[in-house]
Amino acid sequence: MADHSQPSALNPQLGLTGNGDQRQTLVVVFLRGGADGLNLVAPLEDDGYHRSRPRIAIGKKEAVPLDGFYGLNPLLKQLEPAYKDGALAIVHAAGSEDDTRSHFEAQDLMEHGGITGGGWLGRFLRAQTQAASGPLAAVALGKAIPECLRGAPAATVLQSLEDFSLGKNRKRLTQALAKLYGMQTDVLASAGRDTLDALQRVEQLRQASYHPANGADYGSDEFSRGLIQIARLIKSRVGLQAASVDLGGWDSHFSQSLIMDPLITRLARGLSAFYQDLGPVMKHTTVVVMTEFGRRVEENSAFGTDHGRGSVMFVMGGGIKGGRVLGQWPGLSREVLEGPGDLPVTTNYRNVLAPILQRHGAGVRLGQVFPDFTLDPLPLYG
Amino acid sequence: MHLTRRKFLKVGGSSAALLAAVGCDQLPRELRVLYQSPKAVGPFQPPGTAEIDSMTHVLNRVAFGARPGDYERVRKLGESPAQASAAYIEQQLNPERIVDEAADFAVRRFETLSVPLGELFEYQEELLHNELMRGTLARAVFSERQLFEVMVQFWSDHFNIDPSKGDCKWLKVADDREVIRKHALGKFPDMLRASALSPAMLWYLDGRVNRRANMAEKPNENYARELLELHTLGVHGGYTQEDVMEVARCLTGWTVRSKNQKPYLEIGKVEFKLHQHDGAAKDVLGEKIPAIPERLSKTERERLGQKELDRVLEIVTRHPSTAKHISAKLCERFIADEPPSSAVKSVADAFSQSDGDIRATLRALFATEEFQKQRGNKFKRPFNFIVSALRATEARTDSGMEIVDYLRRMGHAPFNYPTPDGYPEPAAPWLGTLLWRWNFALAVSENNIKGTKIDFEALQKNSGGDAGFMAHLLGRQPSPEETQAYHESGAGLALMLASPAFQRC
Repeated sequence: MADHSQPSALNPQLGLTGNGDQRQTLVVVFLRGGADGLNLVAPLEDDGYHRSRPRIAIGKKEAVPLDGFYGLNPLLKQLEPAYKDGALAIVHAAGSEDDTRSHFEAQDLMEHGGITGGGWLGRFLRAQTQAASGPLAAVALGKAIPECLRGAPAATVLQSLEDFSLGKNRKRLTQALAKLYGMQTDVLASAGRDTLDALQRVEQLRQASYHPANGADYGSDEFSRGLIQIARLIKSRVGLQAASVDLGGWDSHFSQSLIMDPLITRLARGLSAFYQDLGPVMKHTTVVVMTEFGRRVEENSAFGTDHGRGSVMFVMGGGIKGGRVLGQWPGLSREVLEGPGDLPVTTNYRNVLAPILQRHGAGVRLGQVFPDFTLDPLPLYG
Repeated sequence: MHLTRRKFLKVGGSSAALLAAVGCDQLPRELRVLYQSPKAVGPFQPPGTAEIDSMTHVLNRVAFGARPGDYERVRKLGESPAQASAAYIEQQLNPERIVDEAADFAVRRFETLSVPLGELFEYQEELLHNELMRGTLARAVFSERQLFEVMVQFWSDHFNIDPSKGDCKWLKVADDREVIRKHALGKFPDMLRASALSPAMLWYLDGRVNRRANMAEKPNENYARELLELHTLGVHGGYTQEDVMEVARCLTGWTVRSKNQKPYLEIGKVEFKLHQHDGAAKDVLGEKIPAIPERLSKTERERLGQKELDRVLEIVTRHPSTAKHISAKLCERFIADEPPSSAVKSVADAFSQSDGDIRATLRALFATEEFQKQRGNKFKRPFNFIVSALRATEARTDSGMEIVDYLRRMGHAPFNYPTPDGYPEPAAPWLGTLLWRWNFALAVSENNIKGTKIDFEALQKNSGGDAGFMAHLLGRQPSPEETQAYHESGAGLALMLASPAFQRC
């Protein structure tokens, strides 16, 4: 091993040095089950929308107005401040090229970033310099590593902070490790020190009860709890580069509002609390919300919607030029609808992710992250 | 019986219940292995020098680390330490002469590893992936053919295929067997040809859709590019974009029958489709490949079209950049992250002179002064760390998913690397994995991993007490600080496995 005693540039855990705000964190929220974009962000001024959904459309008066054309589902009202601050952008008619309308196929393709090995986020983290390989560089909140993180260096499934530990009563062992690693004269010295430092920070986190900042009011559901863990890790500067958290159950074939309303409420509450909680740190954080596909434009007989194509994506945080709904609206006339009557995808999800990845991993080769795809990055940053 | 057996293994419950259900006479061999009483670790002689000597060095590099007694066994192979380590290397270069019962037993429970190509599609992809990972781990831990397993890992990275892509989920099992393992210590040109026509590789790098039925169709360059950049010449090997295109054209028409094609029995079959082959003249790295004359019979044109693959592989394997590229990678693995160019040159010469004979090349590598001298300077990759810890503690293990999960957390589970360049060898990208190594050291030393057991007291006693035990684990006498830390830590074995010295090889 060469002795790279020159610090920083080669230090794999730059984020642990106390200068963690330099470490940008990407949070991926996956809405599993095919979330109905038209019910999250309604094209209020498209008559086709109201015609196709006589019973379940969001009325112009109930919606939270956005830009004169679209309106937010009233249950998403909590996201209005972020939108008005310019920190939240919405991309409509977004999705993938997969037209199987199968949850499994569509999620698989979207998380892999095409028919290719590994997940897009995993490849992204690999494609970066050594900086991506800290012990806490990538975490998945939940029980398993999602496919998008497949192939990532050091990805960790995290259900609670207890997982980051050597266990109870390890003080003597930790001291002995500190002593032996402290004696090293090569890269192992800093790697050991950074790891012990990360352990200590997480230990402090674990012991202190967490008080979200700025009056942020998280819910008690699993999604909010996941976001709290992510916020804590970001704030404690342990070198978190990517986190993924799922909010599932969007498969609203019948009684759409019964199925979707509680989920929309959880989504809004979690995201808005996270936004408030992070405050200025949000500048170094990007949250992207995605789903495998949207729903059929026309409601079905059971007050629900069936598997469709285009949906909506949300991007919040880090320097984006928000307060806008991006993406080309294709309209909802019969000629433009795809297959059995679905909103066509006018913005491929890769074109939403591409500018974000460019910002988070300067110099990263996007062709390696999204092979076999000609990128046309969405102008998220202006 | 198959299913039942696997379920029993999964449950891993009471052996009494198992015996009652199956009956002793029907008990499969692998179960007897699993439930055999712990092998008695006899007294053994640990290393006695203050620095790593040549015997520990070869066990560290040519193998995945020393088991109890290995050091002494190697020492007895020659009169001097140098002779002994040289004899060990020679032994390891001839794996076909090494009996390997323990490893054979350990992997026999992974049925899918020996399932023929066409039948692989009957299995669930998750089972195939798990058995591939567990089988690889088991062989690395238990095989007496250690250099062979080290080279299997080397070539698995060199010809990396991520099984999560398309039909590779099924086909990679055959690739591991027919390409990597079949040729790991054979001839490089044979391995390259097997890889070029491996159904999994045709899937992974899109060779199966590389076609040019008419001049308007654009060949798929993916495989051609990686063939030059990764498998042979290397990124600065002196080829141009034009060469990539020309190589791709030579390889048009080769394809593999996919899972969705009928008949069912021909799934995974590799075929050459003459009408999708570009038969016009080509120029690969300055060598002319003539056009295939239209007037010839279909059989003759088919023969010539197929031969272009062999011609291309011949051109690229004989290119001096290939010898240099492969040798540099081997030296990076066996000598240092930044190997001295003198060593790379000797190894490259051996590669060229032997027409890519992998044993001859390795023999030259191990004979270099640089290999002999650079000891303890490599950082073990996570897989090497885990395997060496299991070997050093003579763990009985089912190489189960809990261990695979440790590797996943460290980003180094076998067959999980997404891009064709394979897991990186140098230390830098792996330095963030210490926390999980320490956790693993604790878990294994305290018998907290399901399906994996060690016998601490026996190990310590047979190595002659604390000092000998430390010397066995470190491959040399412990320093005063290490001895002190061992006693102060309250978890001596875990500390040794987690220590800086054990991360190196």
